[in-house]
Amino acid sequence: MTVLENYDAIAKCNKCGFCHVACPIFRSTGHESGVARGRLAMLRGIIEKRIEWNEELEDPLFTCLGCEACTTNCFGAVPTAELVLAARGEYYDKVGKKPAHRLLFEHLLPYPKRLHLAARAAAYGKNSGASKLANALGLLRIFGRDLPKAEGIVDKLPTSSFRGTLKPGTYPGKGEKLKIGYFVGCGIDVIQIEAGKATFAALQERGKSVTVINNCCCGLPPYSYGDIENAKKLAKKNLETFEGLDVDVIVTDCASCAAFLKKYPKVFKDDPYYERAKRCLPKVRDVVEFLYADQPVGATGQAPVGTYHDPHGAAATAQKVSSDKKVIVTYHDPCHAVRGQKIRNEPREILKKIPGVEYKEMAEADWCCGGAGSYALTHYELSQKVLDRKMDNVKKTNADLLVTSCPGCMIQLAFGIKRHGLKTRVVHISEMINYMETKK
Amino acid sequence: MIGENFIRRMEEIVGKEYVRHSHADRELYSYDASLVNGIPGLIVFPGTTEELAEVQRAAHAAKIPSVARGFATNLSGGVITRDGGLVVALARFNKILSINPESRYAVVQTGVTNLEVQEAVAPLGMFFPPDPASQKVATIGGTVGENSGGPRCLKYGVTSNHILGMKMVMANGEIVDIAGPSFDPPGYDLRGLVVGSEGCLGMVTEVTVKITPKTESVITMLAIYDEVPHAANSVSAIVRAGILPLTLEMMDNTIIKAVEKGGPCGYPQDAAAVLIIEVEGMVTGLKEQADKIVEICMATKCREVRVAKNQAERDLLWKGRRGAFGAICNLSPNYLVNDGCVLRTLLPEALERVVAISKKYGCPVGNVFHAGDGNLHPLLMFDSRNPKELEQVHKAGVEIMELCAELGGTISGEHGVGHEKQDAMHFIFSGNDLNTQQAVKLALDPGNVLNPNKIIPLPAAGKDKLPLTEPTILKRLGGAKAAGVAEAIASIKEARSAKKPLRVVGGGTFNGIGNRLAASVVPLATDKMTEFIEYDSDNQFITAGAGVTLAALQEKLASHNQWLPVRPPYFTTESTTGSIVALAAAGPERQAYGAPRDMLLGLQYIDSSGNMVTTGGKVMKNVAGYDMTRLLTGSLGSLGCITEATWKVSTKPECCHMVGATGSLSNCNAAALKIIISNLLPVSVVIVPQGADWKLLVGFEGLEMVVPSQIERCSAMMVLAGLKPAGETSYPLLTGGHGDLFTGIWQQPTVLQADVVIARVVELYEGLAKIAQPDNLLLDVACGRVHAGFTKLSAAQWKEIDTLASRCQGHACLVKAPDTFRNEVDLYGSPRREWKLSHLIKQALDPERMFAPGILPGRV
Ligand SMILES: Cc1cc2nc3c(=O)[nH]c(=O)nc-3n(C[C@H](O)[C@H](O)[C@H](O)COP(=O)(O)OP(=O)(O)OC[C@H]3O[C@@H](n4cnc5c(N)ncnc54)[C@H](O)[C@@H]3O)c2cc1C
Ligand code: SF4
Ligand code: SF4
Repeated sequence: MTVLENYDAIAKCNKCGFCHVACPIFRSTGHESGVARGRLAMLRGIIEKRIEWNEELEDPLFTCLGCEACTTNCFGAVPTAELVLAARGEYYDKVGKKPAHRLLFEHLLPYPKRLHLAARAAAYGKNSGASKLANALGLLRIFGRDLPKAEGIVDKLPTSSFRGTLKPGTYPGKGEKLKIGYFVGCGIDVIQIEAGKATFAALQERGKSVTVINNCCCGLPPYSYGDIENAKKLAKKNLETFEGLDVDVIVTDCASCAAFLKKYPKVFKDDPYYERAKRCLPKVRDVVEFLYADQPVGATGQAPVGTYHDPHGAAATAQKVSSDKKVIVTYHDPCHAVRGQKIRNEPREILKKIPGVEYKEMAEADWCCGGAGSYALTHYELSQKVLDRKMDNVKKTNADLLVTSCPGCMIQLAFGIKRHGLKTRVVHISEMINYMETKK
Repeated sequence: MIGENFIRRMEEIVGKEYVRHSHADRELYSYDASLVNGIPGLIVFPGTTEELAEVQRAAHAAKIPSVARGFATNLSGGVITRDGGLVVALARFNKILSINPESRYAVVQTGVTNLEVQEAVAPLGMFFPPDPASQKVATIGGTVGENSGGPRCLKYGVTSNHILGMKMVMANGEIVDIAGPSFDPPGYDLRGLVVGSEGCLGMVTEVTVKITPKTESVITMLAIYDEVPHAANSVSAIVRAGILPLTLEMMDNTIIKAVEKGGPCGYPQDAAAVLIIEVEGMVTGLKEQADKIVEICMATKCREVRVAKNQAERDLLWKGRRGAFGAICNLSPNYLVNDGCVLRTLLPEALERVVAISKKYGCPVGNVFHAGDGNLHPLLMFDSRNPKELEQVHKAGVEIMELCAELGGTISGEHGVGHEKQDAMHFIFSGNDLNTQQAVKLALDPGNVLNPNKIIPLPAAGKDKLPLTEPTILKRLGGAKAAGVAEAIASIKEARSAKKPLRVVGGGTFNGIGNRLAASVVPLATDKMTEFIEYDSDNQFITAGAGVTLAALQEKLASHNQWLPVRPPYFTTESTTGSIVALAAAGPERQAYGAPRDMLLGLQYIDSSGNMVTTGGKVMKNVAGYDMTRLLTGSLGSLGCITEATWKVSTKPECCHMVGATGSLSNCNAAALKIIISNLLPVSVVIVPQGADWKLLVGFEGLEMVVPSQIERCSAMMVLAGLKPAGETSYPLLTGGHGDLFTGIWQQPTVLQADVVIARVVELYEGLAKIAQPDNLLLDVACGRVHAGFTKLSAAQWKEIDTLASRCQGHACLVKAPDTFRNEVDLYGSPRREWKLSHLIKQALDPERMFAPGILPGRV
C-alpha cells in the first residue's frame, strides 16, 4: 500500500499524544520524530503535500522499532508500525535504497548457505581479532555509521551454525504421534545455537518425529525495511518448502519468525500465494504456545488490559515457589510475542511452574529491548538508550536468569548485561524447559 | 525571522544535535492536540536551566518569539508559534530532583510526566492530586502551564492548589526562584500567577509540588442512567447533600460506545449516561457514605449502581474514562473539545443546548466530563480533511462557549485559552479586565517575546489597548452597582486628581500591617460594601461585599449548614472578608482546608484609575486568562480596592474535636511529623509550650461517625511516641481550638510569622529561642509555621531571625511591630530576587502609586 492509500488510517490519529508514554524511542530522544504521532504527522504531511520525499524522512521512518507499543496505548489502535513500514517501501522507491540493504536482503538472506558462509567468515574475523575479513565482506559494516560500535553486540560468533551440526532432515522423537517441523530462524541458526539445541531437545521429548526444516529467512528483515518484494520472495520459498513437508505443526523458537510466519496471508493479500499461505497458517506455532499447550493444565492466557504504566495498576508481584534453592527468574516479552501474537501469560505460567524458580516480574517487561532485528546495528546509539532503560528494570529484579523467547532479544539483552556488568544470564525459554526436564 | 547567525548561536549554547530546523522537524513541531497549527522557525532542546536561560537571552536580544513545550497535549494551541518563532522543547528536563515526604513536597523538573511523579511518590504513601486524564503524557510543565484539572480535582482542587514554587527563566533570560517549599512567601502570589499562564510569563524548569498522603480507602461506583438529565440531577443532589466525593465524572452513550469499541471497560452500552463516583477517606464510615450516594442516585432515577469489586475493575473503569478523548477516533477522525464550565445545577440545561448546537452545525457530539465541577467537555466530531466540516465545528465550538458564558460560567475550565479561545475572552471579560491582564503580562515580558499574542484578544491594528467595552455575554451581579462601590470609585478618582495616595481599610484590626507607608495616605473605607450579592448554597458559592465581616458571612452561610473553612489568626468579629483577601490570612487548618487563595473563585476591584476590574468568576474551575484572583489575594491592598469576593463554601463538619498529649518538644515533634504524613487526615497539628513541657494538639473535624476513630488512632500514635495523653476536647467551629493562644500572641507589640518546611519547624524554633525567646508561641507544624509574640525585639535580632528562616528553606515576616521599629526595617526581611517581579507588576497596575505605597516587601 502506498502512503496515500493509507490516508484513512493515518488521519485517524487525532494527535492526543497518548502514544508518547510507551514509545521507547521517544522516551530516549524526546523528539517528536520518534513517536507515533510524529511519524503519522509526517505521513499525513506527505499526503497533504507539506512534506516531500527526501532524506529528512529518514528519522521518522527508520527510527521506529516496530514494537507496536504505541498502538497498545492508542485508543484508536492506529497501526503506526505497519503504516511506517509500508512507507519505507515507498521511501526506497522515491529516495533510494542503500546498497547495504540490497546486499543483505537480495544476496544473503534468501540463501542460508551464503548466510552461513558470511557469518563464518565474520566469526573468523571476530574470534581471531582480525576483523578485516569481516569488514571486507561487509557483514558487520553494511549498515552505516553506527556499525563499528555495534560490532561488540554479537560477542562471539559461533564458528558453526545450528544446521551445520544438525543437518536439515527428520529425526526420531520420544513422543507418540505428533510430527513436528522445526523452523530454524536465522538468529538461532547462526548465533543462538544453544537455544536451538534446547528447542530441538524439547521438541524431541514431545514429538514422534522432529523435522529440522531447510527453510530460509522468514522475510521479516526486508519486510520491516519496507522491501516487500524481497520479503515475498523469501516467504514464497518457505511456503514451497513447507508444502513438501509431512508435519502436523511447524514450531519456531524465534518470536519474530513466528509472528511473521503467521502474517504470511496478510503479506500475500491480493497475490496468488494468498491461499497457499492461508493453508499453512494453522500449523504455525511459537514454541512458547506449543510448550504451554503441552503443559498438564493450561487455559490460554488472556492479555490483561492496561499493563502499560497504569496509574492505578497493581505493583509488580513476586511469586515464590517453595524450594530450598531458588533461582530468581524474570521474563522479557519480545514485541513479536506480546503484541505480535498476544502471548503474555503463557511464558510466565511456564516459568512459575518450574521447580526451584522464584519468578519476579520486572517493570515494563513488555517494553522493547531496542534490538528490533537489525535495528541495534543500524541505529546503535538509540538502541542502546532503549536497552539502558531495560537494564535498569532488570537490575531492580536482581534476577539470576533473564528469560525470553526471541534470539534477537537475546543478543541485545546479553549485550546489555555485559555492558552494565550484571551477573544475570540470558537464556531462551527452551533452555529453561530443558533445565526442568533434567530436574525431573 | 530566524537567521543563520541565530541558529549558530543556538548550536553553541545547547550543542548541534539539540538544534533542529529541517523542513520535517518544523512540521513535527507545528501542532499540538488542538486544531491550531503553525510552523516554527527553529526547535531547540536545552538540557539545563542555565542553557535555557542563555537560549532565552539570545532570543530576547534578537526579538524572536519563543514558546516552552512539554509534550504538546494541550487542547488550545498553547505551544503553537505562528510567527515562525522558536520552540523550546523541555523533554530533557526529565528528572525528579528530590522527594521529601516528611515535609510533604517534591521537586521535579518540568519535563517529567504527571504519572512519573505519581509513581515516584506512591511507594511513600503519597500522591500528587492533579490528575488530568492525560496524566500518562502530560508533563508537569504543561500541567503548570495550563493549570490542569482532572477527576480528583472535585475534592482536591486543580494544579494551582498543589504548586508551592518554581524555578523560572524570564523573558529576558533571567533565572528566578519563585516561592518554594514553605507556605505563603511575602510579596504577590507569583506562583499562583504563573500557574495557568500558558508559558506567557516565563519558562519553568523546576517545580516544587505539594504531595499529599493517600487516604486509607476508596470505593468506586458506576451509576447507570437511562436519561442524561437524571445523571446530572444525581450530581447536584449528591453535592447538595453535603457529600464531597473524590470524583463525579459523567460519560454519555456516544462516549461509552466509543470507549467500548476500543476495548471493553465495563460500561453498559445501552446506558444513556454513566457516572463514575468515587469516595475516599477512613475505612470507618466510608461504606455508609457510599450507601448514601447510592440512595441519592436511586432517588434521582438511576437505573443501577455497580460497585467496583476489586482494583482490576476499578482500573478498567478509569482506563476507559482516561482514554475517552482518544477513543473518539473510533467514531470519527477528529474532535474539537470545549471545556467551558457552568454551575452544576445548570448541567441539564447546558447539555440539552449543547445537543441542539451539535445538530445545528451537523457535528455529532459526545460528552465526557467532570460533572461535579460543572466542567463540560463536549467532543464535537468531524474530519479535518474536510474544510467545510472544519468551519462548522469551529462555529459550534464558539457557540458552546457563548452558551457557557450566558449561563454565568466560563469559557475554559482547564484546557486554557491559547489561540483557540482568545476571541471568546470578550464573552466574559470587559476591555479593562483584559487590558489589566495584558499589563501584567507585559510587566514581566516587556518585549512581548514569550508565547506572544495568546490568551488576550489582540487590539485593533495600530492600537495597543482594547476599548473599554463590557463583556459581550456574561452578566455579572455586583460590580460598580454594589453597595458602597460608587462612593469608593468617587474617592479614588478624587484622590487621584489630588495626587493623594490611599489606604483601603477593613474592620481596622490590621491597619498596621505591612511595611510603613512611604507617604501619608487617605483611608478608603469599605464599611459600606456590606451587601450579600449572591448566595447559591446548591452550587456552594457566596459573593459578598468586601465590607462584610467574616462573622456576618459565617452567619449567613450557617442558614444552609455551610461555612467558609478559614479561621484567620488574630481576627476579631469586626474583621472583614475583604481583609482576608488582602492578607491571604489562614490559620492552622490551612494544610487541610487551604488558604484564601484556594477558596476564592473571583473578585471585583477598583483599579487606580477608578475603573472596575473583575477576575475569575463563580464556577468551580476557571482558567480563562491569567490568574488575577490569586495575584490580588494577599496583595495588601496595593493593587486596588477589592469591592467583592466570591468564595467557594463548604458543608459544615458535624463535629470538631481536639486531642492533646504532653511531653518533650522532640517527642511532640516526632509524633506530629508522623501524624502529618499518615492517612489520619487531621485538620490541624500544633505544638504549644506547656509549663516546662510541651503539648501536641491535633484537631479533627468531620462526621460524628468518623472522628472518634481518627482520635483513637491519633492518641495511639501519640502514646507510641512517648507522649502522655492530655485528654480530648471539642471546640467551636468558627473560632477553632486555638483562639486564646492567638489572642495572647497578638497582645505583644511584636508578632512574628515564620514559614519553613514542615520538618524544620522545631529547628526554627530552637534557633529562634537562641536569638530571642518568644513570650508567646504556637508551632503550627502541619503548615510549617511559627507564630510568636515578643515584648521586645531589636532590629539586629530580627535580621538574625530572617537569616535563620532562610536557612530553614523559608521566610519570616513581622505581622505586627512598633512604629519606631517599622521606621527602621523591612518587615519582610532581606530582599529576594523574586520581589522584583512583584514590583514590576505593582508599577504596571498602579503606576502612580495610589494604593498603599511602600507597604510591599522591599518597601515599594
Ligand atoms: C486526550 C486528552 C485528555 C486530556 N485531559 C485533560 C484533563 O482531564 N484535564 C486537563 O486539565 N487537561 C487535559 N488535557 C489537556 C492537556 O493534556 C493538559 O493541558 C496537559 O497538562 C498539558 O501538558 P503538556 O505537557 O502536553 O503541555 P504542552 O501542551 O506542551 O504545554 C501546555 C502549555 O504549557 C506551557 N508550558 C509547557 N511547559 C512549560 C514550562 N516548563 N514552563 C512554562 N510553560 C510551559 C506551554 O507553553 C503551553 O502553553 C487533555 C488532553 C488530551 C489530548
Ligand atoms: S495515541 Fe494514537 S491517536 Fe493519539 S497521537 Fe498517538 S497515534 Fe495518534
Ligand atoms: S512501533 Fe514502537 S518505536 Fe515505533 S512509534 Fe510505535 S512505540 Fe515507537
